[in-house]
Amino acid sequence: MPQMISSPQVYDTIIVGSGAGGGIVAYNLTKAGAKCLMLEAGSWYDAARDSKWLEWTYDAPHRGALNTEGPADYFSAVVGGWQVEGEPYRSAPGSDFMWFRSRMLGGRTNSWGRISLRNGPYDFKPYSRDEKGFDWPFTYEELAPYYDKAEELIGVFGSQEGIENLPDGKFLPPPAPRCYELLVQKACRGLQIPCVPSRLAILTKTLNGRPPCHYVSQCGRCCRLGSNFSSPVVLLDPALTTGNLEIRCDAMVREVLTGADGRATGVSYIDKKTRKEVQARGKVIVLAASSCETVRLLLNSRSPRFANGLANSSGLVGKYLMDTVMSDVTGHFPALMDLPPHNGDGVGGMHLYMPWWNCQRQQRHELPFSRGYHIEFGGGRQGMPMPGILGGSERFVGGGYGEDLKRNCQKLYGSFVGFHGRGEMIPNEESHCEIDSDLVDQWGIPTLKFHFKWGDEEIRMAAHMQQTFQEIVKTAGGEVIESYGPQEQWGISRGGQGIHEVGGARMGSDPKTSVLNEHCRAWDCKNLFVADGAPFVSLADKNPTLTIMALAWRTSEYIAAQVRKGEV
Amino acid sequence: MLKILGAVPGAALATSAPLGAAAQVLQEPSAAPAAPTAYQPKVFNPHEWKTIQVLCDLMIPADQHNDGAVEAGVPQFIDDWLNFKGGDLAAQIQGGLTWLDLESNRLFQNDFADSTAAEQKQILDRIAYPQKAAAGDASTVAFFNRLRDLVVSGYYTSRVGFKALPYLGNEPQSEWDGCPAPVLAKLGLDKKDQKL
Repeated sequence: MPQMISSPQVYDTIIVGSGAGGGIVAYNLTKAGAKCLMLEAGSWYDAARDSKWLEWTYDAPHRGALNTEGPADYFSAVVGGWQVEGEPYRSAPGSDFMWFRSRMLGGRTNSWGRISLRNGPYDFKPYSRDEKGFDWPFTYEELAPYYDKAEELIGVFGSQEGIENLPDGKFLPPPAPRCYELLVQKACRGLQIPCVPSRLAILTKTLNGRPPCHYVSQCGRCCRLGSNFSSPVVLLDPALTTGNLEIRCDAMVREVLTGADGRATGVSYIDKKTRKEVQARGKVIVLAASSCETVRLLLNSRSPRFANGLANSSGLVGKYLMDTVMSDVTGHFPALMDLPPHNGDGVGGMHLYMPWWNCQRQQRHELPFSRGYHIEFGGGRQGMPMPGILGGSERFVGGGYGEDLKRNCQKLYGSFVGFHGRGEMIPNEESHCEIDSDLVDQWGIPTLKFHFKWGDEEIRMAAHMQQTFQEIVKTAGGEVIESYGPQEQWGISRGGQGIHEVGGARMGSDPKTSVLNEHCRAWDCKNLFVADGAPFVSLADKNPTLTIMALAWRTSEYIAAQVRKGEV
Repeated sequence: MLKILGAVPGAALATSAPLGAAAQVLQEPSAAPAAPTAYQPKVFNPHEWKTIQVLCDLMIPADQHNDGAVEAGVPQFIDDWLNFKGGDLAAQIQGGLTWLDLESNRLFQNDFADSTAAEQKQILDRIAYPQKAAAGDASTVAFFNRLRDLVVSGYYTSRVGFKALPYLGNEPQSEWDGCPAPVLAKLGLDKKDQKL
C-alpha cells in the first residue's frame, strides 16, 4: 500500500475547518453552485443524536464533573480543550498561553456562549481614534450588510438601544430578565451603567423551521432541536442539501500545496483513522481552521518559493495574536436568599448585560486605558446545580450540620452572582506564535510555540473592571466574596483563556504590513483565503464569532464573484 | 446526509408543538439509585464506609419533606468523587475519620460510628462551627468543612436534593415568563423594573 493517496478530483473549493467561518463559506459557495470539500480535524458531531440536552446530573458519571482543565463538563458539547492528547504545544519562557483546540464537526459553535455583538464604527478604526494598534481596511458600514445577513440566518435576539459604538441589528425579541438580573439592573441604573438585553444566537421565535428555545439553560450542551446557532445545524445541513458539499472528518491538514506558479493547488492532510497522507486538489483554498491552526498551516506550508511559509512575505504570519481581557468578581446577595421557589433557567446564557459606557470619557482622556469592555454576569438560580454547589457555605451560614444546615443551604441557594469583564486587547509585538522546531503532534506536524504579554493598558482595564464590579455588587446590597487586587494583576486572565484568540494573519491595504487583503485573500497567493479569526486586525470587546461570520460571508461573496470573472 | 434536524421527530419542526417535541426527546426516567449495599467502595475500607454513612446521616438527615443524604446516595457519591479526583482530598477525609475515632475512643471508649447520637454530636459540635472552634482544632475544622462541602455537593446534585432545594428547572417551557410576581415582590421590584 502506498503511504500517500492522491485523489484525482479537483474541487472548486477546499475549506479547512467546519466552524463559524468555514460553515459560512460552505453555506454560501455551495448555494452558488461550487463543488466544495470540507476537511475537519475532529470527529462527526450531530447534536440531535450526541447532545446531552436534558440529561440530569445524577444520571451522569461523577454527577457531570470532568477532571480536565477547561471550561467544559460532561454535558458540554466540547471535544477538545486547552489540552488535546497527542497534540502538544508550548509557551516560550516568560509567557503563559493556553491554546484551545476544538476537534469536532462545527468546532466551538456547538458549545459557544452564543453572544453575538457587532463591532462598532470605532472598532474598525481604532488607530484613527487613539493612535494605538491598527485600523481595519474597511469601515463598519462596509461590513454592516453582512452582519444583517448573518443575523437573519442564524437568529439573534436583542433590542434596539442606539448605544454609542454598539450597532443594533436584526433582532428577534429578547427574553424577559431573570430575578437576579433585575436586581443587578436596578443597581446599574443608579450607577448610570447601561444594563440591557443581551444579544444571543438563540431563537425566541421559529426561524427557517427551527423551533424557539425551550428555556432549560443548556446551550452549552448544544440544543438537540436546533434552537440555537451551531454550524452543523444552521450552515452545514443546508450546504449538504445542495449536493455540492462533501465533508471529511478526522482529516488533520498539514499543509497547503502550491504549484510552480505560486498558486495553491490543494492540501495535504493526515487521515487520522489510517494515519496516511491524503492529497486533495482544489481551485480555491479557504483556511478556517481557527486562528492559530491557520497560522500553523501557513507556516508549515514551506516550499522553495515560500521558504518562510506561505503568504508570509511580510513576515507577519503569527504576529499580533490577541485574546479577550478578562477579570471576575463574585458577589453574595442577601436579598436573593430564601426567595419563593421558582425556575431560574431561562436561555443558555445571560438575558441582560452591560455594554461599554465610557467612549466619551475615553475620548476626553479621562480613563487610564483606551479601549472598552462589556460585563457579562450570571448566577442566581440559573442552570442545573453541579458538583461544588454551595461550596464554602460555612462562610455565610457559620457551618453546622443537620436540619439547620439543610435549611441554610436552601436559603443560600441562588444568592450568588458572578461578574465577568470582557475587554479589548491592543495588539502588541510581544504576542505572537511561531513553529516550534523541536515539537510535533502525533501526526508528525510541527506544532506552535506561543509568546504572549498583556500591555499596561490591559492591566489598567482589569483594575477598572475590579473597581466597577465591586461597586455594582455593593450598590445591589451584596457582599464581594471573590475579587482581585494589584498583587494579582487585578485578576487578569491568562492569554488564550478567553478562547477568543484572533489575529496572526491580519488583513490590510498594504502587502508589506499585512498578510491578507481586504477580502481576506493572501497577498502572496491569489487563490488562498482565510475565513476564521486570523484576519482580525483588532479584537474589540465584542465576542468575535459574529464578526467572523460577517467577514466570512463577505469573503465568500468575493470568492464567488472572482470565480465568475475567472480571476482565480 | 447530515441528520442534525432529520433525527428529531417531525413535530419538532412544527411551530405549533415545540413543547411536544421536547417531551419526545426527554430521557426516560432513570432507575432509582442503587441500594447502598450494592455499591462496592473504591476508597473507603468497611469501617470508614460505615462511619461515612453515619456522618452523612448526621450532616443531612431525612426530614418530614425529603429523604436525607444516605437515601440520596451521598456516601457513594463521596467515595466515587475521592477516587475520581485523586490528589490529597481522600487523605484529608480519611484522616478526619481517624481523628473522629481517636476522639470518640478517648471520650467514650467507642468508635465514632458505634457511639450514641448524643456522643457523636458532642464531638461534631466542637468542629462544625468554624467561628466558635478552638484555634487548636483548625485542622479538624478544615476536615469537617471539606466533608460538609462534599455532602452538600452530592446531596444537591441528586434527585432527592433537587426536590429539596428545590431546583425547578430542566423542564422545557414553551414560553419564558421572566421573574414571577412573588419573587419580584420580595425583592422590592415592581412592574416598571421588569419592563425593559
